Amino acid sequence: MRALQIISYGEIKDSLVFNELSKPAVQSNDVLIEVKAAAINPIDKSIILGNLQGLLPIPLPSTSAYDVSGIVLEKGDGVSNFEIGDLVYSRVPQEQMGTLAEYVAVNSAAVSKKPGNISFEEAASVPLAGLTAFQSLEAAGIKKDDRVLIHAGSGGVGSLAIQYAKAQGAFVYTTTSTTNLGWVKALGADRVIDYKTEDYRGIAKDVDIVLDTLGQNHTLESFEVVKQGGIVVSVVGPLDEASAKMLGMSDYKLPEALAKASSNKKAVYKFILMHPNGAHLNEIKSLIEDEKIKPIIDKVYPFSESIEAFTHLATGRAKGKIVVKVS
Amino acid sequence: MEDLIKKIKARLILCPEAEDFLYSISKEKTLPKGEVLIRQGQVVKNTFFVTAGCLRSYCTDKNGKEHTLLFAIKDWWISDYIAIHTDELATLTVECLTDSKVIEFNAKELDGIHSLFPEFEPYQRNNLERHVVSLHRRIMNQLQLSAAERYDLFLKQYPEIEQNTRNFHIASYLGVTQQSLSRIRAEKVRK
Repeated sequence: MRALQIISYGEIKDSLVFNELSKPAVQSNDVLIEVKAAAINPIDKSIILGNLQGLLPIPLPSTSAYDVSGIVLEKGDGVSNFEIGDLVYSRVPQEQMGTLAEYVAVNSAAVSKKPGNISFEEAASVPLAGLTAFQSLEAAGIKKDDRVLIHAGSGGVGSLAIQYAKAQGAFVYTTTSTTNLGWVKALGADRVIDYKTEDYRGIAKDVDIVLDTLGQNHTLESFEVVKQGGIVVSVVGPLDEASAKMLGMSDYKLPEALAKASSNKKAVYKFILMHPNGAHLNEIKSLIEDEKIKPIIDKVYPFSESIEAFTHLATGRAKGKIVVKVS
Repeated sequence: MEDLIKKIKARLILCPEAEDFLYSISKEKTLPKGEVLIRQGQVVKNTFFVTAGCLRSYCTDKNGKEHTLLFAIKDWWISDYIAIHTDELATLTVECLTDSKVIEFNAKELDGIHSLFPEFEPYQRNNLERHVVSLHRRIMNQLQLSAAERYDLFLKQYPEIEQNTRNFHIASYLGVTQQSLSRIRAEKVRK
């Protein structure tokens, strides 16, 4: 089968090549998916650039990408919740990374039937960003009438998080640039803040939850806008102590400024380590089928132009997700 | 099964042997919501008479989107008749939208019942005629009625189905987007 592989760490054009591989072996709990579409995410780019070598060591060469939609072609003896021919989508587990290929074997616990009302391309765009949005806001304990600030409403995670928060009945503030105001508002956000002309800190005050998708100074600033006893969840900021422990860093301490800001506000800081989860994807499927969540796609590339898709991703200007139609 | 036998007896004189034969080729089944009875791409052997609940048959296009062909509630038959009559693999999936009860028949044996019991010949022909009429009506409605008119007709014909199905199932039956269906519903409320 044809697969787009990372052969070395570095510039995108030097690091990716198409290789001919054999079909992946199917373990007892796996399904073999005939890939119809795969989506790429900022993490895929970071892996190629070598920025995550410490955190996510991968053997080279490795097939790229985590998001997939397709059709179940084979299944292991231990799989009872899927049948051959099922249409599915998944964010594949780390050790099974490689959805930019004609076939991928995936642990069935990370797989869900795909929503029936959207295309394979739209379905492939959802898992990683959707699970991140879902798991972050669930970890924050989102509930009706909560006031939530979601940074970068036009991003892959932000655009789905806005819709998920609205589906839960929250009041949503979000930040974006002038050019994206219109379509981000259309996602349902109650107050869209143009970060080029407005300071969100003067507008979103005393919010119950901040979802930080930007990191750097935004993580610390989140404590300026969160209410006393509120919660800041970050998908890119510094690790919290619980996540560090899970990653084997038992003597890790939260950076001092963050610990102080959090304690001043008696607010909780949580780092969210997105985990693949078929049951969560199934919940997202229902929300998509009820049109509570709509995937946003920037561009679909043919498989042969996957490297161009990464170059597009690297510009950081995509409005919605970048998808590769594999077959 | 007794109910179905009663319905058949209302339309023909059913001898005990034919009744026994019907029992021998059928099986009553209680199915949970979400159960798939026929799967696109697989061999189809059975046809189902619904005694409770709601099922639908749908096909999935090459882009992965579902299109609903038929809903089936109490006293309706459902299967993939293209597959049964052409011996091709299923082009449809049949799934339970609610917890359901069905009587499963071996389709070939049920079709062949008239060769053993000729009294079934007019009964089967009449069933087929009704099926053709309903399909022709569905095609004509699709061709000539507006989306709002098709939705009105759907509500009149199948009032029970709306309660058991989701917005996207109905939209995919009517051949409209979910947004259009929401708009049609909102306009109906305003009227």
